[in-house]
Amino acid sequence: MGRYFSLSAASLLLASGHAGARSVLEPVGEEAQQIAVLFWVMLSGGALIWLGVVALLLHAALFKRHGMNERSASRIILWGGVVFPSVTLCALLAYALWLMPGLRPFTQAMGSTALRIEITGRQFWWEVVYHPPQGPPVTSANEIRLPVGERVELTLKSADVIHSFWIPPLGGKMDMIPGRTNRLSLLATKPGAFRGPCAEYCGTSHALMAFSAVAMEPEAFRSWLAGQANPAESAGASGGALFLRHGCGSCHFVAGTDARGLIGPDLSHLGSRITVGAGILPNTEDAIARFIARPELIKPGSRMPAFDMLPPDDIRAIAAWLRGLQ
Amino acid sequence: MSAAIKERSRKEYKAQEERLRAVWANPAGWRYWTSVNNYQIGLWYGSAAFVFMLFAGALALLMRLQLAVPDNDFLSADLFNQAFTLHGTVMMFLFAVPIFEAVAIFLLPPMLGAREMPFPRLGAFGFWSFFLGGIFVCGSIFFNAAPSSGWFMYPPLATDKELSGIGADIWLLGLSFIEVASIAAAIELIVGIMKCRAPGMRINLMPLFAWYLLIVAGMILFAFPPLIAGDLLFEMERMFDWPFFDAARGGNPLLWQHLFWIFGHPEVYIIFLPAVALMAMIVPTFSQRPIVGYSWIVLAAVGTGFLSFGLWVHHMFATGLPQISLAFFSAASEAVAIPTGVQIFVFIATMLAGRVIFSTPMLFGTGGLAIFVIGGLTGVMVALAPFDWQAHDTYFVVAHLHYVLIGGMLFPVVAGLYYYYPLIEAKKLSDRLGRLAFWLMFCGFNIAFFPMHLSGLRGMPRRVFTYPAEIGWDWLNLISTAGAFIFAAGVLVVVFDVLRPKHREPRGEVNPWNAGTLEWISEPEENWGVRSIPIVRSRYPLWDQKDLARKVNEGRYYLPDAEEGQREGLVTSVLDADPIQVLRVGGTSHVTIVSALSLGAAFIALTFHWWIATALAAIICLCAVIYWLWTGTAEIPEKPEKDVGLGLSLPLYASGPDSVGWWAMFITMVGDGTAFASLVFGYFFYWTIHADFTEGIAGPDAVWSLAAAILFAAAWGLMVAARTINRRGATPAMRGLLVLSLLTTVAASAAGFAGPWSPGMDPTSHVYPAIVWILVIWVLAHAAVGTLMQAYCLARSLAGRLTPKHDMDLSNVVLYWHFLLVTAVITFAVIGLFPAAM
Amino acid sequence: MRLIPKEVETLWTLFTAPVVWIAHFLVCYIGAAIYCAKPELVGLSFSAVRAGIAAATVIALSLIALSAWLAWRQWGFGTDDPPHDDPTSRDRSLFQGFATLLLSGLSFIAVIFTAMPALFLTECIR
Repeated sequence: MGRYFSLSAASLLLASGHAGARSVLEPVGEEAQQIAVLFWVMLSGGALIWLGVVALLLHAALFKRHGMNERSASRIILWGGVVFPSVTLCALLAYALWLMPGLRPFTQAMGSTALRIEITGRQFWWEVVYHPPQGPPVTSANEIRLPVGERVELTLKSADVIHSFWIPPLGGKMDMIPGRTNRLSLLATKPGAFRGPCAEYCGTSHALMAFSAVAMEPEAFRSWLAGQANPAESAGASGGALFLRHGCGSCHFVAGTDARGLIGPDLSHLGSRITVGAGILPNTEDAIARFIARPELIKPGSRMPAFDMLPPDDIRAIAAWLRGLQ
Repeated sequence: MSAAIKERSRKEYKAQEERLRAVWANPAGWRYWTSVNNYQIGLWYGSAAFVFMLFAGALALLMRLQLAVPDNDFLSADLFNQAFTLHGTVMMFLFAVPIFEAVAIFLLPPMLGAREMPFPRLGAFGFWSFFLGGIFVCGSIFFNAAPSSGWFMYPPLATDKELSGIGADIWLLGLSFIEVASIAAAIELIVGIMKCRAPGMRINLMPLFAWYLLIVAGMILFAFPPLIAGDLLFEMERMFDWPFFDAARGGNPLLWQHLFWIFGHPEVYIIFLPAVALMAMIVPTFSQRPIVGYSWIVLAAVGTGFLSFGLWVHHMFATGLPQISLAFFSAASEAVAIPTGVQIFVFIATMLAGRVIFSTPMLFGTGGLAIFVIGGLTGVMVALAPFDWQAHDTYFVVAHLHYVLIGGMLFPVVAGLYYYYPLIEAKKLSDRLGRLAFWLMFCGFNIAFFPMHLSGLRGMPRRVFTYPAEIGWDWLNLISTAGAFIFAAGVLVVVFDVLRPKHREPRGEVNPWNAGTLEWISEPEENWGVRSIPIVRSRYPLWDQKDLARKVNEGRYYLPDAEEGQREGLVTSVLDADPIQVLRVGGTSHVTIVSALSLGAAFIALTFHWWIATALAAIICLCAVIYWLWTGTAEIPEKPEKDVGLGLSLPLYASGPDSVGWWAMFITMVGDGTAFASLVFGYFFYWTIHADFTEGIAGPDAVWSLAAAILFAAAWGLMVAARTINRRGATPAMRGLLVLSLLTTVAASAAGFAGPWSPGMDPTSHVYPAIVWILVIWVLAHAAVGTLMQAYCLARSLAGRLTPKHDMDLSNVVLYWHFLLVTAVITFAVIGLFPAAM
Repeated sequence: MRLIPKEVETLWTLFTAPVVWIAHFLVCYIGAAIYCAKPELVGLSFSAVRAGIAAATVIALSLIALSAWLAWRQWGFGTDDPPHDDPTSRDRSLFQGFATLLLSGLSFIAVIFTAMPALFLTECIR
């Protein structure tokens, strides 16, 4: 046990005051809020119907004294089986259809002033590119930050197989399908950090593909994004040199260095992220070092080769340098 | 009556009974396995399906162990993925669908007062295909080669050879093989229910079980072929790199999802309706009165059957289709709850109007209903697109589908097992063990699956092999695991109850529950179904027709004898069940096993790309099937008519729509046409998703396509002429027309091939040439079968087995050609004209 | 020429109303799907699609009403009550009529359900 996760630190951070991953019933996004209301309405109605049916069933099977005549029994079929469900379902359907267009408005209210985030699913991580209304795009990975109170448009793609993007407390999911570009719009109403899992089975380590979603106050978000646009400074320069010498740069991109690979996640500001390894490890030097040494132990089916042939000191230095890229 | 006459008629009666028994007897020794009798086939089918179910259940327990605690490493990721893929696949394809086929084959003939299903050898063939395919698919996990892409096999994960290995091929080919078996069963059920009921069993008197099965068989006919078409595209991509689902070359993974779910959602009802059908037999028996709302059940069965085809996109709510499309499917998914509700209220009304005896079958039945209603209500929830965006692919859906399938299918099936077990062994199962099993299963089930609603809402996606601690899923999963083991213990009690030796118990009554329907006349020791075929005058003949059982068993009705040593049953009219023909069905034969095994060998060899072995096995299979047809079908009887008793004489031969063979061909071709329609759907699907779906590639030449269409029409015309001329007695002219038609077909095929060949369309380059080629290949393969049929008719005519009066072969082949004509004309019009028209 | 078909002896009439439902469903779904995928093909606005759905709905409901009327006639205009379980051709026919009438009712509701999305959704948003 404990082979795949040992992330108390990360989940504590993620939970940000709440115990556990945030459920769809504790919404902090507009869409999730409306769907939660829909759910509670359906749940209470459903519970009443279930109790009614079971009571009738028990009465008919065990407790009734006399058999009913056929005419009245037929009438029960008509009213209980046809009229009641038709009316109830019609009302419920109308409610849901009325909700639908408002849940994900793209065309109205959004204009070109909105932030767009392009997210590409890959086995088993997420590439994230921010397209702010002004300024150049900012690339990141495995963490999505968004401003509270502003509608954000997400562009969802896949580079290999089908994945599905989901932040439970913010809104419903949307698949990422090769050859398609799907769109989703989310509006966070409260700040917080949440876990977002990949919701469509995508291969061996589907269970280990997650990300952290952070809703921030708009001002904090903007200054954070500005920081991300510039290369990070890390103290352990020797680790940076080792990173390049051992060829890590052929797969990974680190802004401001010669590491220009595009196969693996962008590591430019790795140190500033809540988790590493796509939402599964706490962001500590130790965790980074373990991932570098034996990725397949932590994430089976991962494309990254093992680097346990490197001297442990080198791995530690690289990990320290990466952790320092704030 | 003098004593001498009495003595003679008693002897005569004995002799009749002996002849009948001998004709229907099972072969002894190892040859027992060549039996085709519906009791044996039904029993084998059902037992095999149950064993597969236990196997899949064991896989589920392994999965529950892995998920009991967070960060577990009891199973590796890969093994877990194989386990859940196989669990879903086996439960769906090797248990849920086959178990109903088994029950139907076992129960329908005695319930309808028939001797046999109309095509017993086809039934046996279906069973052996299913059994072999099932072993192949299940066995793969012991070689670490099981499919691991989930039971709906989404490409590109499942089409990528690096990501999915041989498991995906095993899944595709093994299951294609089983789908063939299901379609075989559908043909058998439709013809059996429509044409082989006891005289007088009008459609308003048919047992509800038969109504349900009729609808379900019809659904199979329209639901399975799209999956077969999808399988074909899928396997072409995996084997030959035709890019149907590869986005880089114009393909699209969503086409698979459409085809899979056009199958997949009706499938749920194909599973659910037969289970409700069992309830519709059990509830009246234990309410000791006829069902209230017979017509309402027919409404519900037919309505569900249709509506279930308008639900498939609700499995694709998160794929980013336009909201208006999603909304249509939300609407239909809500509507389907209405007929489902009707059925529940029919049962409640029947219980309200009767005096309920609360036996073990009723316990399982009503308990299942209580569970199912929860599944139905969560179904109404997830059918609404907005809520599904949250619930989709989470444990909420896992809970929902298990509430539906276990409450709606497994519990009624166990109820049916307790109810119908006396028909297998003339003994009841234990009431005490039954009640124990029920409470273990009922409690275990709810403990296991109820918490899953919550873990899903807390964000737990399905198909995760592990999860981190401290995000609030751990104790929910631990409870689920505990419940799963309690549930499994209940299932084991049922298994023990069935398997425990019962030879010390006395033989029970023939109709221990005092049921009203015909199947309760038959005795498990006899293979003949009914001793004589009765005249039915009630929905519950055993309640309403005094002395019926005695008279049937004294051979006082139709066909009490088998003078000619043939297995015989009656064919009756569809609406009023007037007797119209004596049907001679095939008896014990090894040809069914040989053809099933060779077909299986062909599929298996194909999985491993052993081309020569595939070809050899396919040839053996073809020879076996031709031998089977030649020796076992359309035989010219030794006399035109036969006295069936009660002063009625009926013909022994029928051709055209009067014959069951014609209907079997018609039904097969409807299924075949549905598969073809799915391919055409694929063509237009690619057109809609691309601005220019030809990608500038030159399409098939319009002239060649037109020529092919005209030549196919000519070949069809010659076939129709051959049939007409043959009926007029001009046998040589008929032979000449057959040869001419065969040659025309070859020319038509060549022209069809030249269409995409002449511009050099490369099917691996882009999806447009690939979909054109697959349509052309579909027509050419059907044309090849068509020529085989023409040659077969020619040979039959030369051998004197096809005459102007006995032209069943020719008439069935012409029916095939009607469908072939439509297929060819649509194909060549679409590929030749559509791109130019756009 | 008669406007109302005369009574026929077949099982197929049972399926009339559900077949109308499925045709209506496919027309709505395929029409909207093609419009949303290739709006330039027809060059109409989404309101035209909604109007088309409304027209298809009116046609489908009329056909179902016709089927219901025929079924009602076959049911002898409701003079007999179910269960229609006598072993006579007459009861068999009454049963067919009643079951067809019920199916027409269900199909009628289902067509209305299917048409409802066009009331609420006013564009091809995804």
